[in-house]
Amino acid sequence: VSVGQSSLPASAAALILAGEMYALQLDQLAVALRSGRRGASSLAGRWRAAGLAETGPLSQGPRWVWLTRAGLARAGLPYTAAAPGLSRLAHLRAVTAARLALSAAPGFAEGGGYWRSERRLRARMAGRAGLREHVPDGEVHWPGGTAAPWAGECWAIEAELTPKTPARTIAIMRELLHRTGDYGCLAADAAVPGRPPRHHRAVYVCSAAARPVVSRAREALGPLAPRVEIRLLPPGAALGDARWPDPP
Amino acid sequence: MTGRGARPARPRPGEATGLRTAACLVTAVLLAAAGPTVLVGAIAFCAAWLRGWPPRRLLVAAGWCAPMVALWLAMTARDAGWSAAAAAPFDAWRDFWRFAAAGLPLRAAVTVAPPAIPAGLVAGALAWAYRSDYLRSGAGGRSPAAAVAFDQRQWQHQVRSARARIAAPGAVPLTTRGDLIVAGAVIRTSGHRTGQLAAIGYPRMRSHQVVVGTTGTGKTTLLLRLWAAFMATGLRRQADGRGARPLVVVLDCKGGAAARRVADRFRRVLREAGAKSTAVWPDEATLSLWDLPPRRLTTTLVDLVEHGTGSAAYYADVMEALTALAVEAPCGPPRSSQDLLDRLEPGWLGTAYAGTGSAAEHAQIRSAGRHLGDVALRYRTLFRRLGAGLEGPGSFADADAWYCILEGTDQISVAESQARALTDLLTTFAAQATVPREILLAVDEFSAVSRRLPVWQLYERARSLGLAVQVSAQSWQGLAATQDERYRIAASAEGGIWLLRTPHPEPLTGLAGSRPALATTRQLGRYPRWLRQGSSRLQDVPVVDPGLIRRLDVGQAAYIYGGGVTYLQVKRLVAAPAALTGMQAVPNVPASRTAGQAAGRTASDARTLRPAGPVLPDAGSLLDAAFGREPAP
Repeated sequence: VSVGQSSLPASAAALILAGEMYALQLDQLAVALRSGRRGASSLAGRWRAAGLAETGPLSQGPRWVWLTRAGLARAGLPYTAAAPGLSRLAHLRAVTAARLALSAAPGFAEGGGYWRSERRLRARMAGRAGLREHVPDGEVHWPGGTAAPWAGECWAIEAELTPKTPARTIAIMRELLHRTGDYGCLAADAAVPGRPPRHHRAVYVCSAAARPVVSRAREALGPLAPRVEIRLLPPGAALGDARWPDPP
Repeated sequence: MTGRGARPARPRPGEATGLRTAACLVTAVLLAAAGPTVLVGAIAFCAAWLRGWPPRRLLVAAGWCAPMVALWLAMTARDAGWSAAAAAPFDAWRDFWRFAAAGLPLRAAVTVAPPAIPAGLVAGALAWAYRSDYLRSGAGGRSPAAAVAFDQRQWQHQVRSARARIAAPGAVPLTTRGDLIVAGAVIRTSGHRTGQLAAIGYPRMRSHQVVVGTTGTGKTTLLLRLWAAFMATGLRRQADGRGARPLVVVLDCKGGAAARRVADRFRRVLREAGAKSTAVWPDEATLSLWDLPPRRLTTTLVDLVEHGTGSAAYYADVMEALTALAVEAPCGPPRSSQDLLDRLEPGWLGTAYAGTGSAAEHAQIRSAGRHLGDVALRYRTLFRRLGAGLEGPGSFADADAWYCILEGTDQISVAESQARALTDLLTTFAAQATVPREILLAVDEFSAVSRRLPVWQLYERARSLGLAVQVSAQSWQGLAATQDERYRIAASAEGGIWLLRTPHPEPLTGLAGSRPALATTRQLGRYPRWLRQGSSRLQDVPVVDPGLIRRLDVGQAAYIYGGGVTYLQVKRLVAAPAALTGMQAVPNVPASRTAGQAAGRTASDARTLRPAGPVLPDAGSLLDAAFGREPAP
C-alpha cells in the first residue's frame, strides 16, 4: 500500500488508505494488505471491534469497510466521517482499483510517487468547492531528485466509468491542464496565465464504454493532447467484479 | 391720513413665534399619529439618500406593493364586506396603536404593513424629490455651494451603489431579453430612462459608435464587453431566426505586446460569448488580398501605394493603368504578390495580351511599358511592408471574431496600408458574402491610421453594406487629423458616444446639447451667512458636465445618445483561463486550417502547435505496467 508512509505497518497503512478512499471493498483491502480473504476480513473485524470502522454489504460482492470518526482520528485524517453513498460505490471502487494498480507498478515506488486522494483535495477546499470547479479523482505527485524521468511532475488522475458528453469531457481536460493553483487556493490563483500548470499531465483510466469519448475529447484538445494519457481500468475494477487475491 | 393702502396686519414678533410653535406642535402630533407611515418614509428617504437613488425608484417600489395591498383588501372584503375593505386602512392604523399599546409590536407591525409600506414609500419619494430639487435649485442649504456639495456627495453614493451592483454575482448579465446589451450598472442618468442596468438596444450596436478615453481608464474593458455582448446577442437572434450570424472584426492599430495581451483576452471573452471560432491576424491567421474581385483588387492595390500630388498624379495614372493590365489580364487575376510582380514585366504583359487584347490595351502596354520597373519596385516595397498576413489563404468567413494587430505605433506607414487593405477586404466580404453577416468593425486607436483610412467614407460605405463601425481613440484629437473630420465622425455616431475620462471632452459633450435648469441667486448677509431672499431663473446647462467627465474614475463611462447621458460603472468580463504560456503557434503552417475550422475549432487552434518548452518525458512504461498498453481507438 502506498500512502506516503512506507515504513508503516501494513494494517496502519490500510487504515489510512480506507480513510482516504472514502471506503474499500474487502477484496481491495486484501490487495492493499497483500493478504487473502481471511486476512482482510480479520483486519476489518478488528477495526470494527475497536470502533475504528464500520462494515456492511452495500453492494454485490465483498463487504465494504469505511472509517468511523474514531478511525479517522486514529489515522490522523481531518475528514467528516460518513458512510459511502450508494450512488458512488462503483466510482469509488474504480478509483481505488486504479490507485492499487498504479501503486503496484514497478516504477511507482522507485519514483517516490505519492497519491493525493480526492477526499484530501476536497478537505483542503474546506467546502469552498465552486459548482464549476472540477476536482480530479486523485493526484500523483512525483518528488524531484529521483531517477524517474517524470520526477517533479504532478499528474491528475481521472477514472471514467460512464461516458460523459464530449464537450464536458473536453472542458474537464482543459480545466485540469490549465489549472495553476493548488486545490483550496484563492480563486484568483486557480488559473493564472503565465504560471506553470499544476498538472503536467492528466491520466484517464476509463472503462471500455467511456474510452471512445475520452479519446475523441483528447483529439479535440489540439496542442494539449500529448498531455493526456488514456488507459483502461484494471481488471476487477467494476462493481461486482471482485477478485480475491491469492493468499501469499 | 396718509396715502398708504390697506395692508394685512403683520403679526408681531411674539405672535409669529407662537404661530410657529403651534404649527410645529400640530405637525409633530400628525407625524406621531401616522407613525408607521412616517417610519417607512423616513427609512425610504434615508435609503435613497444613502444609495443615491432617484425618487422614481421609491415610487416604483411603492407600485410593486400594489399586489400586496390588493390581496389584503380583497381578503378583507371577502371576510367582512366591501365597507370593511374601504375602512381597512383606518382600522389597520387603529389596530396598530392598540397592539402597540398592548405590548405586541410585531403584531402591530404586521397589521399596519399593507397600507403603511406603500404610503410610506410614496411619502419618502415625495420628501426625497422635494429635498433633492430644493438643494439642486440652489435655494437650500446654508450657502449656495450646498448644491455642489450635495451633488458631489450623491455622486459618491451612486458610484458606491453601482460598484456594489457589479460586484454581486450574476447581477449584471451580458445581455438580457429584448436584445439589450448590458454594459454595467447605472450611476446616474440625465435625459435617459433610469434603471439599475446600463443597457443599450442591439440596433445601436449595429450603428456607428465612437469611444473616447485615455489610457488606463477601462476603455479596453468596455470595448471587450460590448464586443462580447454583440456576439452573444447576435447569436441568439440568429438562433431565433431574427438575424444573420454576427461577425466582429477589430483593428488594433497600436500593435506591440499590449495588443497581443488584449488579443488573448479578446479570444477568450468572445469564445465565452459563443463565438465558434476566433482568429488573431497576422500572428495566427492570414487573409488573402488576392481573393478580391479583379477590379476591386486593382483599386485596392493602387490605393495602398502612397501617391503625391501635382505632377505625381501622372505617375499615379500610369501605375493604375499598368496595375489594371496586370490584374485584369485575360488569364485571370494574380494569386500572390510574387505573381503580380512577375506580371509587371513588358514581356509578360505583351504575351498575355498578344491574342486577345484590344488596340487600346496594346497601346497602353507600349506607352507605359517603360515605367513597369518603377511600378514593380513600388509594389515590391509595399508587399514587404504588408508582410505575409495578406498573402492568404483565408477570408473573414473563417472565424466569427477577428482581432487584427497593426503595428501603428512602431510602423505607421505599414499600419496605414494594412488598415486600408483590411477594410477593403471586409467591405468586399460584406458586399459579396453568400451568407449575410451582421458585421461590427471596431477600429481601436484610430489616430494611428486615420491619415490613410478616411473613416467618414468608410461610414458612408458601411451604412449601405449594413456594417457598423466603432471608432475608438484616446482623445478628441486622436479621432482624426482635422477638426472637420472629427466632427464628421462624432456627428455620424448614431449608435451613441462612449466617453471615459479624457482631458478635452467639450466637443463630444457638446453634442449632447443642453437642458433647462433652475439657477438661484441668494443674498449674502453677513459672511458666512446667506439670506433666504434671492431670485431664480431658468437657464440652459450642458446635459453632460465636462468637469464630471474629467473626474471619471477607472471603469466609469458616460454614454451619450439622443440628447441624454447615462453614467455607468462598467462590469468587467471574466474569461476562461488563458492558453498556457510555453505553447506557441508555428507560423505560416496554414495547411490544416480549413479542416480545423470545419471541426469547429479556432483558426489558431487549428494551426499546428508544438510545445515550445521541453517535451514531457514518456511515462508510458509506468502506465503500461499499471494498466496495460493504451487501447487502440
